[in-house]
Amino acid sequence: MRFMVARESVEVIKTEKLTFTYAGRNEPSIRDVGLSIEKGEFVILTGPSGCGKTTLCRCFNGLIPHFYQGKLEGEVIVAGLKVNEHPTYELACHVGLVFQNPENQLFALSVEKDVAFGLENLGLPREEIRKRVDWAMKVAGVYELKDRAPYELSGGQQQRVAIASVLAMRPEVIVLDEPTSFLDPLGAKRIFEDIYKLNQKLGITVILVEHRLDLAAKYATRVIVMNDGRVLLDGDPREVLSLEKTRLLGVGIPKATRLYQLLKNDGIPLKSGKVPLTPEEAAEAIKEAFKSD
Amino acid sequence: MSFFEGLKFRKVSSPIHDLDPRIKFVFVLVIFVLAVVFAEILPLLFLFILQLPFVLLARVGKQWLRSLKGAIFFAVLIFLMNFIVSFIYAGYVVTAQMIENAFTMTFRFIVLVSSFSIFFLTTSPDVLGLALEQSHIPYEFCFAFTTAVRFVPVLADEAQTIMDAQKARGLELEKGNFLKRVRNYIPILVPLIVNAIRRSLELAEAMESRAWGATKKRTNLYVLKPKREDYLLAFITVAILALAIYVKIFVPIPKITQILRISA
Repeated sequence: MRFMVARESVEVIKTEKLTFTYAGRNEPSIRDVGLSIEKGEFVILTGPSGCGKTTLCRCFNGLIPHFYQGKLEGEVIVAGLKVNEHPTYELACHVGLVFQNPENQLFALSVEKDVAFGLENLGLPREEIRKRVDWAMKVAGVYELKDRAPYELSGGQQQRVAIASVLAMRPEVIVLDEPTSFLDPLGAKRIFEDIYKLNQKLGITVILVEHRLDLAAKYATRVIVMNDGRVLLDGDPREVLSLEKTRLLGVGIPKATRLYQLLKNDGIPLKSGKVPLTPEEAAEAIKEAFKSD
Repeated sequence: MSFFEGLKFRKVSSPIHDLDPRIKFVFVLVIFVLAVVFAEILPLLFLFILQLPFVLLARVGKQWLRSLKGAIFFAVLIFLMNFIVSFIYAGYVVTAQMIENAFTMTFRFIVLVSSFSIFFLTTSPDVLGLALEQSHIPYEFCFAFTTAVRFVPVLADEAQTIMDAQKARGLELEKGNFLKRVRNYIPILVPLIVNAIRRSLELAEAMESRAWGATKKRTNLYVLKPKREDYLLAFITVAILALAIYVKIFVPIPKITQILRISA
């Protein structure tokens, strides 16, 4: 059950009984997915490999059913648009997709040109493109790299450029499909911090597909766990990640949360009341437990 | 992979690099045509010397010399062919005139190589892509061109990785006769091609997600606008062309052998 936020809630993504089978497959890759994601949420989507996370992401911006052939049942509504009735390029202005491999989403010979790519495709006036490109590069922290060629950048920088190029299109939602799997832990941490900033400062709804929950969980307002094409759990990060079921599925729950679980199982519950997601929170809770003794 | 190193594009700035690629191309084309039209050594020499300031201003001397060095084999071939044929025609005698003719043909080839190497050495692929776009070539082709250039270093890295992996499994690339060696490369090429196809799918996905094909009238962030230097180059080009036409029609061009005979 979702905890309703007091402020006005606007639904940006809604799926109903969404089932999709890729052409040439017998089994559907996602089944009966019913989700409602509101504006401003920071959603982490996780689950074992092959559970349908990527397929679900592809539904959000119309790659399914326009780019990938197959059988789509149910409904996806993004920013008020039914995805099967609107082309991908129209949806791309509302939902930005960032992919796993940073290398394969940069086409141009310089960072600046890459960030401009989507806007050029939309045929916007040149001054508008210039304005938005500069803005997006600054927000994503790649302004200094604007004349560099993509092969001169590190993985983290490339992924940042990919984020900037999506950001330039001013989407309401950014969907990131395992954006850090090609990055080292520090690069990943920085990317998460920046995504969080986008979420906080610009109010962009974030859907982050991620396995590195140790680093990412603290930013989330909601965690969705998928398994075998279905949504298994959906709710508050502290609640979902402390469930035994989540751990047994193979989701890499934060070590701080695991510590909390183990202590609790051994009859030493931490009293602070909330499940820790980060080492800092765990340390705080342990300190408190010592003090009260 | 020194071969691939040469294909990496770099953003360099110099008076020549910054020229409008379209005008630069016309200039190179004029040199090309003139080198074909004139069969005497003097005008060819003039065309060659004309290129030197460009090489110097663009600071690409090293690369330019390298491309000329690469042309040596063909240059020697052209010289020998010309010489041998005229040698046989003349009835197996050697004259100074024959040597000059053969040399002229060779030099013409060098002028052609040099002019095109200057163009490609001083025009970065993204500017070239932009020029193609603004010459009303369909955007799909321009995109294919720049993307191909963009992925050369990536694929080169990948080829290296695959080679290392296959060598680690005991593949010996440098062994056997020529045919065997060619066959040795199959285990490299197959994964490379399969990977490239997979990559292209991901690329297509990313393109779709960035509004590819949203409108027929695509804007480009950059525009090529001729500057003062470009007009200057255009003027130089026209002047050379006019001079060449005048010389071709009204001035008989002496051969070196003739000049020497007169002075002797």
